[in-house]
Amino acid sequence: MFELLQAGFGAVFSPYIFILITLGVAVGIVFGAVPGLSATMAIALCLPLTYTMGPAAGLSLLVALFIGATSGGLISAILLKIPGTPASIATTFDGGPMMEKGEGLKALGVGVVFSFLGTIFSIVALMSIAPSLAKIALRFGPHEYFSIAIFSLTLIATLSTGSLLKGIYAGTLGFAFSTVGIAPVDAIRRFTFDSPNLNGGFAMLTVMIGMFAVAEVIKIAETGRAAHKSKIASVSMKGVKGFGFSLKEFFGQIPNAFRSGLIGIGIGILPGIGAGTSNIVSYIIAKKRSKHPELFGKGAVEGVVASETANNAGIGSAMIPLMTLGIPGDTVTAILLGGFMIHGIQPGPLLFISQGALVYTIFAALILASVMMLVLEFYGLRIFIKLLAVPKHILLPIILVLCVVGAFGLSSRVFDVWTILLFGLIGYGFVKGGMPAAPFIIGFILGPMAETNLRRGLMLSDGNFIGFLSNPISATFLLLALASVAWHLFSALRSRKNTAARLQET
Amino acid sequence: MDTYKRKELLVGALMLGAGLFYLFLTINLPRKGFIDASTVPYVLSVGLCLLGALQLLTATKATQPPADPDADADSSAATPPDYPTVFKTLGLIAVYVALLQKVGFPIMTVLYLYAQFIVITPREQKVNHITYIVIAVVTSALIFFTFRQGFDLMLPTGFLKI
Repeated sequence: MFELLQAGFGAVFSPYIFILITLGVAVGIVFGAVPGLSATMAIALCLPLTYTMGPAAGLSLLVALFIGATSGGLISAILLKIPGTPASIATTFDGGPMMEKGEGLKALGVGVVFSFLGTIFSIVALMSIAPSLAKIALRFGPHEYFSIAIFSLTLIATLSTGSLLKGIYAGTLGFAFSTVGIAPVDAIRRFTFDSPNLNGGFAMLTVMIGMFAVAEVIKIAETGRAAHKSKIASVSMKGVKGFGFSLKEFFGQIPNAFRSGLIGIGIGILPGIGAGTSNIVSYIIAKKRSKHPELFGKGAVEGVVASETANNAGIGSAMIPLMTLGIPGDTVTAILLGGFMIHGIQPGPLLFISQGALVYTIFAALILASVMMLVLEFYGLRIFIKLLAVPKHILLPIILVLCVVGAFGLSSRVFDVWTILLFGLIGYGFVKGGMPAAPFIIGFILGPMAETNLRRGLMLSDGNFIGFLSNPISATFLLLALASVAWHLFSALRSRKNTAARLQET
Repeated sequence: MDTYKRKELLVGALMLGAGLFYLFLTINLPRKGFIDASTVPYVLSVGLCLLGALQLLTATKATQPPADPDADADSSAATPPDYPTVFKTLGLIAVYVALLQKVGFPIMTVLYLYAQFIVITPREQKVNHITYIVIAVVTSALIFFTFRQGFDLMLPTGFLKI
């Protein structure tokens, strides 16, 4: 393991990959900091750049973008009081008030340092859990994979924001879109309307670019003309020592950071929920555990620490199911899966055997990107603040052009560019209809995995469905999936009853 | 009928409509046995139809959920949707994609960017034609040559013989 890690560091410290990681972190921070842009968008737009790179360089760039974008959200959360990404919502609660009190630089320093610690903590978890989990997963067959895919799908559909019904529908619709093209096992063309372009189905990247980037451009068009210039607060870096806070303050926050890191890892490992949830959960727990809960919301450092440690701790843990089982837990890891596949690598337990060196290069890239994030985000702050001021009506059309390039670059077909427009419209429709997009994406990605393994599993058990229930691991995941839907249905009904009772009282 | 209820009913109708369309396509798939390539689409289409019907049913009893007090940070929520700009944007993107191959990436990108900048410039700001043209030309050239020279991506050149 240590030799592989050493080789990994050797690879990422080559000038080419080092520069890529530095640029990736910087671009990621900008995407995280500008409200409306996201980590998913950053990775989707930079994927075409990796087409001609080797897997080590390409994937290092993508993980650097992931780290930069996840932590970049804290800049706008503190300076504008608007979270750059959902992962930084709780950072606004205390980061904003700290800024108003004149402690903006301290809030940024604390945010950056604990983002770094959260990331490192999760990378350690990834490096220690993933290889053992991969060994177990090597024994999994089609029955287990089918059940895990169904479990992940139900969890994502039920845990995503908004209505349970719409969440499940979005996941099912994503699955339905994945059935376009040549069917697994018996190779029948389905829903292709006799167009050879559809034989291979919709490319994952075009679906992602459409749903997340093109839909965002259309959304901005809806409100952009009424937009007012947002005033960006400035911070002075004069006479700053270290990261703007004392060692005593740092050590005082360690228990809070440790707890928040554990929450971030625990939530991040589950499919469907990640940094968007963990930052709020850890903030609430930090408030409950604090000796001065009354200070929360008024500029408590503990609030920024809890939120930023937890959201970044989701980075390493979200990569655990991706790398060991090939299952993306959220949209960012879904697009990372696309990144792996573009380079001809199928994430899963075999990855640790067939591509051991690459796995450890990714681990090393994650560590180096975290260090780069720590340095760049704090000391390059003034540049990022300037970039926050770039008007949306200039930025978004340029992003759309990059989306077009990314889609065209997949296989040099204008058909793929039309596809991103189609999925952009669907994504915009989802926003208007209050339907979550994440279950759609995960349904689209896990759908073929579920269907292929269902067909294979049935072939192994002579067409008998009992095979899925007699296998203990498969049965456990199917039961968990059922329990997850039942529990959410029950809590939805209960909350409706409570609302009805409250309405009757009033 | 309030706006919220109408919206939820429309969403339900679209959900059911999409489910029925998928079911119709699934029925036309060739069958080879009890478990074949149409099994999963059948399960999905029935699921989509059921969920759509459920949405319609719940929409008839829907009441406007209370506003989230923490949602005040999102200023866009308070802005009424500007649909003419949305349609103009969609039209521009469609024309851009349709002519991409024929006219070529460099020219179409300049034209698209320039037009799109104008269409979504905030009302309180003045349209700066010269700046917009400069940004459009520089961006188009930069992207075209970066991808062509740096990443071997042959973007369509159209009329230009580069």
